[in-house]
Order: sequence, then structure tokens, then C-alpha cells
Amino acid sequence: MSDTDSLIDKLASSGAAPRGGSLLHFTTPLVAVGLICTLGAILFLEDAFASIDTHGFSPMIVKWGFSLAVLLLSAFALWAIGRPGRRSGGATRALAVPFALVAALVLLELLVGKFTFPGATWKQCLVAMAVMSPVAFIGAILAARWLAPTNLRRAGLAAGLFGGAVAMTAYSPFCPEHGMLYLAVFYCLPILAMAGLGWLLGPRLLRW
Amino acid sequence: MDRQVNTRASVLDQLMAAARGGDSAAYRQFLAEAAQRIRAMLTRKIGADSELEDLVQECLIAIHEKRHTLDPERPVAPWMYAIANYKLIDFWRRRGRSLVDLDDEADLAVPADTLAETDIETLLDQIPEAQAQAIRMTHIEGMTNREAGDRLGVGISAMKLRVHRGMTRLKEIAEEDKA
Repeated sequence: MSDTDSLIDKLASSGAAPRGGSLLHFTTPLVAVGLICTLGAILFLEDAFASIDTHGFSPMIVKWGFSLAVLLLSAFALWAIGRPGRRSGGATRALAVPFALVAALVLLELLVGKFTFPGATWKQCLVAMAVMSPVAFIGAILAARWLAPTNLRRAGLAAGLFGGAVAMTAYSPFCPEHGMLYLAVFYCLPILAMAGLGWLLGPRLLRW
Repeated sequence: MDRQVNTRASVLDQLMAAARGGDSAAYRQFLAEAAQRIRAMLTRKIGADSELEDLVQECLIAIHEKRHTLDPERPVAPWMYAIANYKLIDFWRRRGRSLVDLDDEADLAVPADTLAETDIETLLDQIPEAQAQAIRMTHIEGMTNREAGDRLGVGISAMKLRVHRGMTRLKEIAEEDKA
């Protein structure tokens, strides 16, 4: 009996039924880092939703609309990329849609000329994004490692986007700033930076 | 011929379906069948390499460990060959071979470094779908030009032409990326 035959016997003896709860295994680290970031923001920051009194719900809806769209799209892309033999180009390209919408709104804001920039709390915003994005990124990497991504850079990029989107979702209720230019510079760019880091680190962190 | 190709693919699907139901004999048969097909695919790509059997075993272990990533409603073959292809690229990366033979006729030689961290699907996304499909069927799924042509309903010459044009374009993309 050859080594390969012995291996086949050994693998076959351990059973074919897949380890259960694949989706649960995938989502658990994603939800966990989401909760960690949210709790961290609640514990260390003050005045959640304070900006609603002055600016109404619209800025918050835009911020969460954007961040949740990126969060969900990147999680879905990660799920698709992590399953061999599936086409994931569409899911990856869809990630650009929220950014394209923001770019269009920034352009509109610049044309109208009504914007305040950079605002008073931009440093706090950058610090929050810089601290929370890597934490959430780690969760996305753990989730992706449970799967079997064959395009490691693409998976790393999606994990980076997820990290940034979670950070933005957790921090934005505490952010008093509004305006699309602010969102583009102090949220979109850090998210894209995290995505770039994920793209670079993907082949190292996700190899299996 | 089309029926033969479909039958070959459905054998894997049937064995895996039975295996998922708890039939360990079917799972053993599935792994043996997978080993045979992966060995054939790898032999075409790396020849009678001394590490061929090691690579086949690596693929089998990966297939076993990542079996939860197979969607039961999708065919097994593309999933299995995607894993085998990933392991092949990893093998080239580790080995640092100077040239990768992507084609039996060796009219294309793409530096291994270029592909080491790139999924073949990423490259295929950049060429026309008909050519990508032709390459996927002949170089990833392991069909002959005749089998692939029969399935797509095109002649063997047309199939060879699609593969050749696609491979030429892949070589250009690989060289552009390297530059």
C-alpha cells in the first residue's frame, strides 16, 4: 500500500461529514470584534449621538449607511472569496459602490460650497480609526482563515475593508462632525488604508 | 463525449453526497478518485516530479480539512481543482522554480514569482470569458481539448485556438505585472 493510499484510509476514517456550523464559525469572530469595538467606544468615549441634537439624524444615517454597507459587503466578499471554485469578482467589485457614492456626494458638496473642514475632533477620529480598525481586521482574518481563500490578496483587502468599516460603525455615533468631505477624508481614507494593508498582508496572514 | 465528461463530474458529486451522509466507504472512494484526477492534472503541469506524490497528498489533506467550504448544492470538481491549483501555486512559491510550464506544448513560460501570490482566477478575470473558460476546462479541470470542445459545442481546432490565445494573453499580463 502506497503512502497516498494510507493517507486516504486515514482521512476516510475520520469521516466525511463537514465540521458543522460553517457560517457560525465564520461569523463568530466578525461579531466578536464588532462587539469589542462597540464596547470599547462606549467605555472610552462620551456623548454618543450628541450630534443629533445639532445636526439632526441625516449625518448619522449617512455615516452608518456607508459604514454598514461596506461592513456587510466586505463580509459577504470574504465569504465568497473563501470558498474555492467560486467566482468572487462581482462581490469584490461591489465593494467599490459605497465609495463611488461618497465620491459623488463629496463632489456635489464641493460644488455647492457648503462644508466645514476639517472640524474640531478630527484627531480623535483618526485615533479611533487607527486603534479599532486593526482589532476588527484581526477578527476578519480569523474568519477568513476558517475558510479557504485561494486569492489571498483579495481576501486581505476585504478583511481590511471590514476592519475599517467596523471601526467607523463603532466610532461614528461619538463623532460630532458632519459633511461628506469630512467623511471622505477621515473615514474613507483610513478604511482604504486598512484595506491596502490587508492587501499587502493577505498572502502572509491567510496562507493555509 | 459530453455525457462522459458529465458522468466523470457527477461521480465525484455522487460520492461526496454519499460521504456527507456518513458513508465512509464512499468518502474513501471519493478521495481515491480525487487523488487520481489531481495527480493527472499535476503531472500535466509539473511532469514526473519527485515531489508529485507529496503534492497530491497535500491536496488531499487540504480537501479534507477544508471540506466545510464546499457548498453541497454546487459541483465538486471546480472546488477540488481550485484547491489543487492553490496548492500547486504554493508549491511553486516554496520551490522558487524559475519557470512554470502552463502548457504541454510549452509555448508559454511564465516566471513562477509572478504567479506565486496571485490566484489563477485573478489572471483569468483579465482575459475574455471564452478564453478563460477554455483554460479553466483544459488546464484546471483537466479536460482534453476534445472533451472541452464537445462540452462547449465547438470544434477541437477552435478550442485549441481559444486556449492558445488565452495563454498568450496570460503570458503578456504576467510579463506586464512583472515589469
